[in-house]
Amino acid sequence: MKDTSMTTTPRHSTRLSRRTFLGAMATGAGLIGLPFSLRAAPGATDSAIAFDSDELILADGTLSRSDGDGGWIRLSGPAAGGIRSLATHPGRPGRIAAGLAGGGVTLSEDGGHGWEARSQGLPDAPVTAVTVAAAEPDTIYAAIRGDGLWKSENAGRSWALAMDRPWLADAERDLTALASVDLATGMGGIWIYAGTELGLTRVPDCFCRWQDVQPGDAMDALASGKPAPSEAPLPEGETINALVSASSLPTRLYAALPSGIWMSEDAGVVWSQKSNARALAVAVHATNADHVVAITRDGLIESRDGGANWTALVRA
Amino acid sequence: MRRKVILLSVVAVASLAAIASFAQVQGGNVRAADVTFLGQPVTAEQIVRGKEIYAENCASCHGAKLEGQPDWKRRLENGRMPAPPHDESGHTWHHSDQDLFAITKLGVGGVVPGYESDMLAFGDILSDEEIAAVLAFIKSTWPERQRDVQARITASDGDGS
Repeated sequence: MKDTSMTTTPRHSTRLSRRTFLGAMATGAGLIGLPFSLRAAPGATDSAIAFDSDELILADGTLSRSDGDGGWIRLSGPAAGGIRSLATHPGRPGRIAAGLAGGGVTLSEDGGHGWEARSQGLPDAPVTAVTVAAAEPDTIYAAIRGDGLWKSENAGRSWALAMDRPWLADAERDLTALASVDLATGMGGIWIYAGTELGLTRVPDCFCRWQDVQPGDAMDALASGKPAPSEAPLPEGETINALVSASSLPTRLYAALPSGIWMSEDAGVVWSQKSNARALAVAVHATNADHVVAITRDGLIESRDGGANWTALVRA
Repeated sequence: MRRKVILLSVVAVASLAAIASFAQVQGGNVRAADVTFLGQPVTAEQIVRGKEIYAENCASCHGAKLEGQPDWKRRLENGRMPAPPHDESGHTWHHSDQDLFAITKLGVGGVVPGYESDMLAFGDILSDEEIAAVLAFIKSTWPERQRDVQARITASDGDGS
């Protein structure tokens, strides 16, 4: 399925009809009146970042890799074009999965220098997010716009539908971010957290149902007689552009939102704002949960103390 | 001749004893002795009864062969998910005995607050014993791997086996 939001004007026509003009004016006025988070299409940011061991892979129009010495190496990138999401796993250094705006998943096994399409069986639609299963490095999840969550157990060589999209506010919602969170569901597996245009949701990796983030495991809701613990969710109605869980500390989550960078210490129940820079993508180091890097509208920023302090990362 | 008759009789008795102790349950894939529910052994009679109750109350949605509704991973027009399979291709075996009992008795919304489902709460339709029998039947159809995984989930959930 192709993105139908783009329109083209026939080259031979230079006149605008009254209906077209009024329609365009109404659309423009409507867009101006909307909050920015609602105007952004789900998973619309073609910015992505991920740690590959101690180095960073950065996609923001071009693809580059930090060289470990303060510099950056420009990479040719996958032939299929714009990267919307990147995912790595500490158990597979050098392997990078990329979700493509033009559709499909591509994989590099050499730190981003060479790329191979791994889209066999996937619907032909934009891949809005990818993540690697925390406990199974050959298992990759991909969120497909207008479709659902897909799963590959062989590093992308074949794919199968795992789950339809979540139903939120009376409609199916595209996934804009994915993170495999290595915390037990109480159902023999771990969680997959997901961002949407309306906020956070999650599903156990047995794929029984999308559900809100709650304290404890999925079935603690049975103990309804207990007093409800305190909660501080992410800002309501904001698109989650990216979401990561620290491998060394799975309860630590970072989220990139239009309102900034947010962090949770308890797997998504209580969130606190760590930066008000409009955030497009975020990555956390596999063995140092305090080391976080984000792509913002103001540029690339880095924190080595869990988001308490940020410094600009210069790209030479 | 007499020795041969005695030998045959012994073999026949032994065979009957083996059949009795490893009762292969009609409709299930495993011996009743291999199935427990909430830590208690399940009898062949419970499984047979559970199969009957399943056919009367569950099969219309979850399928006569526990196969679930067609395309069960895709949402229905009303936003709800179709009835999933109860065989090994579904996710039922990822839930503990306690949770399966609660979901059947209270409905999914009774376990996950606010979750909307077409699944009825069977607490007003079936007795606790009948719900346990249905679940025993479903568990009897699972291959060994799924039963083992589900037994560990049940054990880690508190009151299970």
